[in-house]
Amino acid sequence: MLDIVIKNGRIVDGSGMPGFVGDIAIKAGRIVQIGRVDAAAERVIDAEGKIVSPGFIDPHTHFDAQLLWDGYAKPSIEHGVTTIVPGNCSLSLAPLRAEHRMKLVGMFNQIEEMPIIAFEKGVVWNWETFDEFLQRIQSDLSINVAPLVGHSALRLWVMGAAADQRAATAAECEQMQDLLRSCLEAGAVGMSTSFVDFDEKMQPVPCRYASTEELDALCATLGEFGRIVQIVHEFYDTDLTIARIDQLAELSLKHGIPTTLSPLFVNAGDFDGVDRIMARIDHQFERGARVWLQVQTRPVDISFCLEVPSLLFIRLPSWYGIIRFGSREDVIAALSDADTRAQLIAEAASMASVWARLRLRQVSTEANQALVGKTLEEIAELRGSTPIDVMIDLSLEEDLQAHFLAADMGHNDVAKVGELLAHPHVHIGASDGGAHILSFSTFGDTGHLFRQFVRDSGALTLEQAVKKITQDTALIWGIPERGLLQTGYVADITIFDAGTIDRGPEYFKQDVPGDGYRYVRDAVGIDTVIIGGAVSYQQDSGYTPAKEGAVLPGPVQAL
Amino acid sequence: MSSIPRKSLFPSAGDSWEIIAERELGGGGEEAVGQLQSWNLHVFMRPPAAPGSPHEHNPILPSDVIFLEPPQAA
Repeated sequence: MLDIVIKNGRIVDGSGMPGFVGDIAIKAGRIVQIGRVDAAAERVIDAEGKIVSPGFIDPHTHFDAQLLWDGYAKPSIEHGVTTIVPGNCSLSLAPLRAEHRMKLVGMFNQIEEMPIIAFEKGVVWNWETFDEFLQRIQSDLSINVAPLVGHSALRLWVMGAAADQRAATAAECEQMQDLLRSCLEAGAVGMSTSFVDFDEKMQPVPCRYASTEELDALCATLGEFGRIVQIVHEFYDTDLTIARIDQLAELSLKHGIPTTLSPLFVNAGDFDGVDRIMARIDHQFERGARVWLQVQTRPVDISFCLEVPSLLFIRLPSWYGIIRFGSREDVIAALSDADTRAQLIAEAASMASVWARLRLRQVSTEANQALVGKTLEEIAELRGSTPIDVMIDLSLEEDLQAHFLAADMGHNDVAKVGELLAHPHVHIGASDGGAHILSFSTFGDTGHLFRQFVRDSGALTLEQAVKKITQDTALIWGIPERGLLQTGYVADITIFDAGTIDRGPEYFKQDVPGDGYRYVRDAVGIDTVIIGGAVSYQQDSGYTPAKEGAVLPGPVQAL
Repeated sequence: MSSIPRKSLFPSAGDSWEIIAERELGGGGEEAVGQLQSWNLHVFMRPPAAPGSPHEHNPILPSDVIFLEPPQAA
């Protein structure tokens, strides 16, 4: 008796080959037959008219903390994602000594915009080593997790307070290599580092104090396992990005490792810069290096209210300082004080076009409900005011709970982004899943890929798009037995409607520990998601109790 | 499309603006240092390090890319 048979779907197997109509049989968590299946099964899923594909893989996430209270990594699964990669950008929650916990929380708060109260209310700190962390999350996993080890975490463990002061000594480098080796043996997929991020004190994160010799040593250790290094590079500058591509290429060639950098944004007016970067990527692939550039599918949208810091204000030091380091009362006092307000308005003048385009998306009071959906420019006209004054006034009227949307801030040229996504050396990713929860929804990028770039613009065929987020990702990251519908492979499968798959509208949802909120999007057109051979989500009935998620690639087996 | 990178280096231990200018630009001095800083605003304009930090008076980090020539003309 089979466990599950998926009948009459159009099988798009992840290889990029044309889809075909057929059945898939699943037993003991694996695909046991593809073609026509007549044998009896415990459960039959009718997929007629639907696409049956490998589960999607999201390679750039920050679900590290969420996995401690939510083994589904909601709402990833309902968007068809069956494997996530946390631990990007040098930040992982293991290995982590007890005395460094608040340092990591501070960095997650500053860089990934994750509320401190969510850590306070949602995390029971009962691990230190990477292996202990994996055991901790593994007991409750519905989704597969391919975890990276953060370079900053490695430095903190080995160097303590010196981690964000200086380069490591040779002895400390060896200790970091030993520590990284133990993490890889426990099941880590690779290591992440950063060349741009600042910590909670607005100082460079620990990994930025690493010398090239230290990074080289750690990549040598990755090379022992053939594992990947991920970097977040100076994505705002073409020449710096090219320098990092060259650096990664040398590490890839020297140590035989895959490398990936993220993100690359397409900014209006700088298509030449993007073309130069892609020419350099192509050049390095021609040399035999593996330097995968991650590109996200969604345009840049940022939402905010003035109660919590937003990266939108990062270049406005007075604004950012008050919102980031002040209390709620401090923010209200600053906005209410005539002199301080005038100073803030003067500083914000350089972004006047941004404030004018902002849209009021949510308020609490009845009096302002009629304004929701209007731009600040429109509201300013109604009130005889200016957009920046309207933003301040509405924030005060709404007790800082007026929410604004800065839509289409960049990466929104469909033709150019589509060209990039289809490029053979571009890796679709950079969702930032689980991070920036009060700035934008990091969910639904896969639905957006199919709607915008397959159905609407035709930049990719359905088969190409599926391959990009399944087999390509599994191969780049060394995730075994996933990413392809093939007999003997683990049954991670997403069934969806090619005609309707999309991301739903963004909305504010209260489901974060500490009664916190975050921006999310529901999925559209995802019918069924199977992980490890068990149905984890169905559109009609929602999530199931299945806990078949695995840590990938998992512990190293002795030869 | 040209993919020629700008000439750059990764700092060695103890490198400062003055030392890099002296070593790489064929002589130091204020003019050379100023030129180097103008090609590396991503480092020069960095927020100041905390008082007492080893980087309080030298913003260059070991992981930085330091350009040794100006941007190519568009």
